[in-house]
Amino acid sequence: MSTRHVLLGLLAGGPSHGYDLKRRHDARFPGARPLAYAQVYTTLQRLVRDGLVEVDGTDADGGPERTRYRSTERGIRELTGWLGEITPPAPHVSNEIFAKVVVGILAAAAGEAADPAGHLLAQRAAHMARMRELTAVKTAADTDLATVLSADYALTHLDADLRWMTTTAARIAALTEEITTP
Amino acid sequence: MSTEAPTALAPPGPARVLLTDARLATDLLRGAGRREWWRLGLVAFGAFLATCFALAAGTVAAIPDGHPVRYTNGLLNGSGVRPGLVLALVLLLVPVLAFVGQATRIGAVHRERRFAALRLAGATTRQVRTVAALEAGVTCLFGSFAGLVGFLAARAVADSVQRGRSTPVLPTDIPVFWPGFILVTLAVPLLATATGALALRRVAISPLGVFRRTRPPRNLGLYGLVALLLVLGSALAFVGSKPGLLMAAAVPALAAGAVILIGAGAVSAAGASARFLGNRLVGRAQSPALLIAAGRLQADPWAGARVHATVILVTVVGVGFTGIRRIILDEVNTRQYAASDTGFYESGFAAVGLTVLVALAVAVLGLAVGTAESLITRRRALAAQFAAGVPRSVLRRALLLETALPLAPAVLLAGLGGLLIYGAYTAPFGSELPLLQPLLVPVVVYAACLLAAAASLPLLGRALRPAELRHE
Amino acid sequence: MNNSPSRTPGPTGPRRAPILAAHALSKSYGATEALRGASVELTAGEILALTGASGSGKSTLLHCMAGIVEPDAGAVTYEGRRLDGLPEHARTLLRRTDFGVVFQFGQLIPELTARDNVALPLLLAGVRRQAAEQRADACLERFGVRGQAASRPGELSGGQAQRVAMARALVTEPKVIFADEPTGALDSLASEQVLTALVHTAREAGTAVLVVTHDAQVAAYADREVQLRDGALVPEPAAATATARVAGDEH
Repeated sequence: MSTRHVLLGLLAGGPSHGYDLKRRHDARFPGARPLAYAQVYTTLQRLVRDGLVEVDGTDADGGPERTRYRSTERGIRELTGWLGEITPPAPHVSNEIFAKVVVGILAAAAGEAADPAGHLLAQRAAHMARMRELTAVKTAADTDLATVLSADYALTHLDADLRWMTTTAARIAALTEEITTP
Repeated sequence: MSTEAPTALAPPGPARVLLTDARLATDLLRGAGRREWWRLGLVAFGAFLATCFALAAGTVAAIPDGHPVRYTNGLLNGSGVRPGLVLALVLLLVPVLAFVGQATRIGAVHRERRFAALRLAGATTRQVRTVAALEAGVTCLFGSFAGLVGFLAARAVADSVQRGRSTPVLPTDIPVFWPGFILVTLAVPLLATATGALALRRVAISPLGVFRRTRPPRNLGLYGLVALLLVLGSALAFVGSKPGLLMAAAVPALAAGAVILIGAGAVSAAGASARFLGNRLVGRAQSPALLIAAGRLQADPWAGARVHATVILVTVVGVGFTGIRRIILDEVNTRQYAASDTGFYESGFAAVGLTVLVALAVAVLGLAVGTAESLITRRRALAAQFAAGVPRSVLRRALLLETALPLAPAVLLAGLGGLLIYGAYTAPFGSELPLLQPLLVPVVVYAACLLAAAASLPLLGRALRPAELRHE
Repeated sequence: MNNSPSRTPGPTGPRRAPILAAHALSKSYGATEALRGASVELTAGEILALTGASGSGKSTLLHCMAGIVEPDAGAVTYEGRRLDGLPEHARTLLRRTDFGVVFQFGQLIPELTARDNVALPLLLAGVRRQAAEQRADACLERFGVRGQAASRPGELSGGQAQRVAMARALVTEPKVIFADEPTGALDSLASEQVLTALVHTAREAGTAVLVVTHDAQVAAYADREVQLRDGALVPEPAAATATARVAGDEH
């Protein structure tokens, strides 16, 4: 999963501190491994280097000094590009799709061009297309059993992703409400 | 249809159509399960009974006026009372018809699924109806033929036994009227086929299942009434065709009318009381057996009413008859009639009483078949309840309550109706109203019904096998 | 007659004229609206999957397109002829000659052997017994259940019964097969065998197949997928936009 893009997505709502970003990330993705602060720091450094994020200022209200970051125009474009991109249908990809759905909802709430529901549909179509290819391989006249079984393996995992997408698509309104109401 | 359809699929000529349908019907029968054979056997038995009763009525009706031979039973001698006896025998067809109706319902769910499957395979509605009608017709033909043979055999035996007696018991001296006998033998299966087709007209057989077009209870009552009117009408037409008999027929006809009205009232009362009891008890039942029975009554109050219809009718007739018998015999005994007259009444009442008993037997048999049918139809749900931990004894009690609860008020009402009939009859005599004997009749009928329902309980053990939970 | 829609061109290039088209179908059962303006097209020889959640109206759409159920509104066109509004008898005859139907279970007649079940549509159409049985056996052979020809449905496994059902649906060499959750009651291996047999036979004979399923692995046997939600089609920007975005790569 792309931490860069997730941080860009979290910044889409407005400027934020590194520690704040880590806290929000961990709250949004309860299933994922919590981000280490060092990882947040290095990712932000790289984003600044690439011109996707810039320093907004520093706060020091009593405690240690903290740098505030905000997204640049290029950063927003990078984010919407990533949100629209179809994840290659491969086994075990739902984690990335989930990230896109959540970040997409955040970005859409911040007024950016993101359509998580439409994205799920498109992703589902891509998965179906891949499953059709694999099924065609499997049912071809003289496919050997090893090929059939490996196609089956991929098909079963893609099917799991697809089921997850179907139930998520059916509950996207509820998810949006949960994410956008503080 | 399509231009490239194989020529073999072109619609077959009309001559082949019936042959195809007949072949299909026999194929279906060949693979039929035990349940189907039970149904066919009972339907054939009903046709057997109907043929026997119709032939008996025909034989009595064929005794000419002024017949020189005197019989031991006075009812056969008087040209004035003979039509009454004929009518009684014809009315016996009512419980028989109800019995056949009950028997055809055995495995109805299964059969309807088969009809739907046939439609799914491309059979037209007409083809499905033809298959069903052919099945009913052929089954009844077997039954009615057996009835003809049985009747002739019984007649021959009776004839040889009473040969040479000056006053025979049965009118075996009347020659067999072959055209009439053959007509009856053929009419029974034809009627059965027609009623079968009529019954299927009410349902839409779609490939997705069988649907009732309208609420069944109203129609069942209506068809029952139509059948009764037909029977009555033909009996009246027969009586009316012989001048002078009309008057003699008026009293039994009026009595029959009263019986029908009271019977219809009792049937609707059975349905209404089942609904009422169900609604009331579902909320308050403390015992699980009562709760299950009440739920069932609430869900389908008319299921019971259908089964109980003939029982109720027979109760009305039975109470009325017993009352009238008591009154007349008391009258005859107090007024010091001649011994021959007393004998005439006693033998007459014995004959009619036997008829009523036969009717009761057929009605109770119908009830037993109905209870068994409902048990078989629901066996999957029952097996599921059993598997979920409902004890066998609770299910057994629930099944008995399903019969006992709605039947109690219905039989009570039928008893009151019968009381009304013989009360009206007593009025001109001005004598005391007999109560003990006639009012014992509903009690006996009720007990007989409970016994009949209990008789189907051994089937419960089979219905509860876990195998019933598997897909068919 | 002429209202077969050309609204949705297929995802891949121009499509041939549809053999069967449903246009703006609506159907209610009491207060429940099963279909609200659903449109689907099926081209000759195409295998189309109709997917959606339980209660999305996919079975009703299949029933309407097969002429089993009459829609309340909209049009079903088969080979240029309106199917809705035809009398029941005509629709039955059409189903017998041009359509085949496979359901999840229960469509076989328990009293008849597998062979007789498959021969049944032919017998109903007046084909002579011997010829019908020969064709039935050939069809059972294609589905790999020739050995069970003399068994009754109760003696067959679920997968065998479904293969017999498919043989029955295909024995009249129909133009369209309607399959409603044909593998819904089967395990995945039996399901795979049944579907592979169906796809091969349909491809050989050029039969179009409309398969209703909630299972993506079943839908993957089809050439194309149409999704239903709440009785209407889910708009399909899906494949088109997906490829556009991946290929375009905007910046």
